Amino acid sequence: MSMYQVKPICGGDIKIDLPTCMYKLANIHAQQGTGCNPEHALQDHGALRDIVVNANPAHPPLTLLVLHSLLSQRYRVLSTVHVHSSVAGVPPQLLSCLGPRHADSYARQMFQLGFTLIWKDVPKVEMKFSIQNMCPIKGEANVARFLFKLLAPYPSDPALATLVDSWVDTAFFQLLDGSAKERAAVLRALNSALGRNPWLAGPDVSLADITCYCCVLQSGSVSSAPANVQRWLKSCENLGYFGPAKLLLQ
Amino acid sequence: MCVPDRALVRVQDLTPEKADQLIWLRARIHTSRAKGKQCFLVLRQQQFNVQALVAVGDCASKQMVKFAANITKESIVDVEALVRKVEQKIESCSQQDVELHIERIFVISQAEPRLPLQLDDAVRPDGEGEEEGRATVNQDTKLDNRVIDLRTTTSQAIFRLQSGVCQLFRDTLTKKGFVEIQTPKIISAASEGGANVFTVSYFKTSAYLAQSPQLYKQMCICADFDKVFCVGPGKKSSHHVLPPCAAFTLVRSLRCFQTEIQTVNKQFPSEPFKFLEPTLRLEYTEAVAMLREAGVEMGDEDDLSTPNEKLLGRLVKEKYDTDFYVLDKYPLAVRPFYTMPDPNNPKYSNSYDMFMRGEEILSGAQRIHNAQLLTERAIHHQIDLEKIKAYIDSFRYGAPPHGGGGIGLERVCMLYLGLHNVRQTSMFPRDPKRLTP
Repeated sequence: MSMYQVKPICGGDIKIDLPTCMYKLANIHAQQGTGCNPEHALQDHGALRDIVVNANPAHPPLTLLVLHSLLSQRYRVLSTVHVHSSVAGVPPQLLSCLGPRHADSYARQMFQLGFTLIWKDVPKVEMKFSIQNMCPIKGEANVARFLFKLLAPYPSDPALATLVDSWVDTAFFQLLDGSAKERAAVLRALNSALGRNPWLAGPDVSLADITCYCCVLQSGSVSSAPANVQRWLKSCENLGYFGPAKLLLQ
Repeated sequence: MCVPDRALVRVQDLTPEKADQLIWLRARIHTSRAKGKQCFLVLRQQQFNVQALVAVGDCASKQMVKFAANITKESIVDVEALVRKVEQKIESCSQQDVELHIERIFVISQAEPRLPLQLDDAVRPDGEGEEEGRATVNQDTKLDNRVIDLRTTTSQAIFRLQSGVCQLFRDTLTKKGFVEIQTPKIISAASEGGANVFTVSYFKTSAYLAQSPQLYKQMCICADFDKVFCVGPGKKSSHHVLPPCAAFTLVRSLRCFQTEIQTVNKQFPSEPFKFLEPTLRLEYTEAVAMLREAGVEMGDEDDLSTPNEKLLGRLVKEKYDTDFYVLDKYPLAVRPFYTMPDPNNPKYSNSYDMFMRGEEILSGAQRIHNAQLLTERAIHHQIDLEKIKAYIDSFRYGAPPHGGGGIGLERVCMLYLGLHNVRQTSMFPRDPKRLTP
C-alpha cells in the first residue's frame, strides 16, 4: 500500500556541535548481532565454559537431555552429573543420564563446553552460564531455547519463529503440566497441524518438534495419540536424537 | 579393690523413668538462689542441666538451705537427691521433665567467688548483647580464661565436633588402607624455606621445629608404605593421593553432628554447609576466567590472593551452590619446587587446593619423585642444594610416583560451622601475641 511521502524538511547531514567533555554511549541499535547471540558466549577464552543446569530429580528434564546429546555431537562437551546436598539420594539412572564419562574428563581445558547437571531440590529447572553477564534462566522451556540456539538459529521468519515458541510453551504448560482436558486439546491441535506438514513449524525439524515429542512421551500420551501424531512420533524416532529420553523413561 | 560407695548418675539421664529414685550426682553449681525456706539450684554437666531444690524439712535444716545458697558458682558438688516428676516443663533447663529434691549436698571442689567471666555472658550472641544491654565476653578475655570458657555449651559443641572430625579422618583413611605414622618434630634444616621457622637449642647446637611432616611422609612412600598419614599439631596430612572423595566423605559424615552444629549456631548463626556429590573440581584456567569476568585483573600464572580466593568462592557458590570445591592445575610458577609439573603443559602443575566457604583448607600436589628433576627444579628456585641433600637422596634408590596434601583441622571446623576466627576452634591458640594458657 503506497502512502503519501513527505520529503525531508532538513538535510540529513547537519553538523551538530556536541560537547566533548561528556561520556559517549555507542549506538545500542547498531549492535544487533552480538550481545544476544549465544554463539558469542562460546568464544574461546582459553578455559572451559561451563553450563550449569539445576533440576529436580522428581521431574527429570527430558528435552534438555536430548539437547545435551545433540550438543555433544556438535561440540567437544564435558558432561558431569552431581547430586546437591539438598537431595538425599537419586536413582542410578539419573546419575548416568548424560552417558559414560569421557576418557579425557580429567583435562577440562581440552573441552569447548561444559554441561554440569546438578540434581537439586529446586521448584523449576534453572540454568546458570555466565554469572556476570546473564541472570539465571528458569524453566525447562527457556533453558531448552538457550541450548537449542547453540546448535542452530531460530527461523529468520518472525512468524515461523513465533510458531516454534508457541509450540514449545504449549508442550510444557499444556501438555506436560496441563489437565487431561488440556492434554487432549493439545493432541488434537498437533494432529491437525501435522495433517498439513511433516513437522510442526516449517519444512524442517525444529525445537518445537523436539519439545513436543519429549512432552508427549513424558505425559504418557503416546498410546492415546491420534494418527498424524503417531506418524510424526515415528518420524521423530527415526531422527535418532531421542535415545537419552527413552532410556530414562524405561 | 574398693567398691565406690556411690554410683553417680549423669544429668542427661535424669528423665521421668527415674522418678522417685534416690540417686547420687556430681555436677557444677550453675546458679543458686535462696527464697525464704527454699534454695533453688541449677546443676550443670557439660551441655546438660537440671533444677534442684533444697527445702527446710525432714532432711534439710535452715542452716543447710543457707549453706546451699552460699555455695559459689562453678563449684563442684555431690548431691544425694530424689528425682521428682514436674507438672510444668522447666523451660530453662535441658532436663525439662524432672527436678531433684536434695537430701544431702557436699562441696567437692570450691570455686573462688569472683569468676573472671560469667558463662551465660560467654555464650550470649553478640547481637543480643548489644540489643538488650547485657554483657558479652570479648575473645581475648575468653582466651585468657580458656579453662572456664571451654565449659560453655558452644565450646563443648565445637571441640566435640572437632574430635569427631579427627576421628572420621582417621577412620576414612584407615579404611582405605592408609598407615598412620609418627614423624620427627625437630629437624636440622628448614624444609620449605627459612622465613618463619622456630629455632630450638639442641645439645650443643640449634635445630628447627618442623613446619610440616611432608618430607618424612615422602620418605615413607620411598620406604614402601604405599599410603601414609599423620596427625600433627595444627596440621593433619596424608600422602599417597588424597582423593577429594576422602575429604568429601568427611564433609558428608559431619551431618551426624547435627546437635553440636545447632548448638554452635545458637551463638554464631550461619548458613548450613552445602556441597555436591561427587565433589566439584574446577581448573585454574576456569577460575582465572571467572575472576576476570568479574573485573579482576590478573595474569594467567599469577597466584590467587586471599581476597581473590574469597571472591572466587562467592562466584563458585553463585554458579554451583556449593561451599566445598577443589581447584586443580595451579600454575607451576607459584608452587613449591617439589611440585610435579603437568605433563601436558609445562606452565601448569599437578597441584590443587581445596576450599570451604571460599577459604583454603588444603594445599596438595603430586610430588617429584625423580632426583634429577627435583635437583633441576630446586636450582631453578635458587635453593641451596646442600640444605636439602638428605631430601633429594631419598629419591635416588627407586621412588614411586606419589602425592598428597595437608589439611588444617581447626580451619575445617571453623569453616564448616561458618565461624570467622580460627581461635574459636583452637583449644589453646598460639599467635604472635599469645603463648598462654
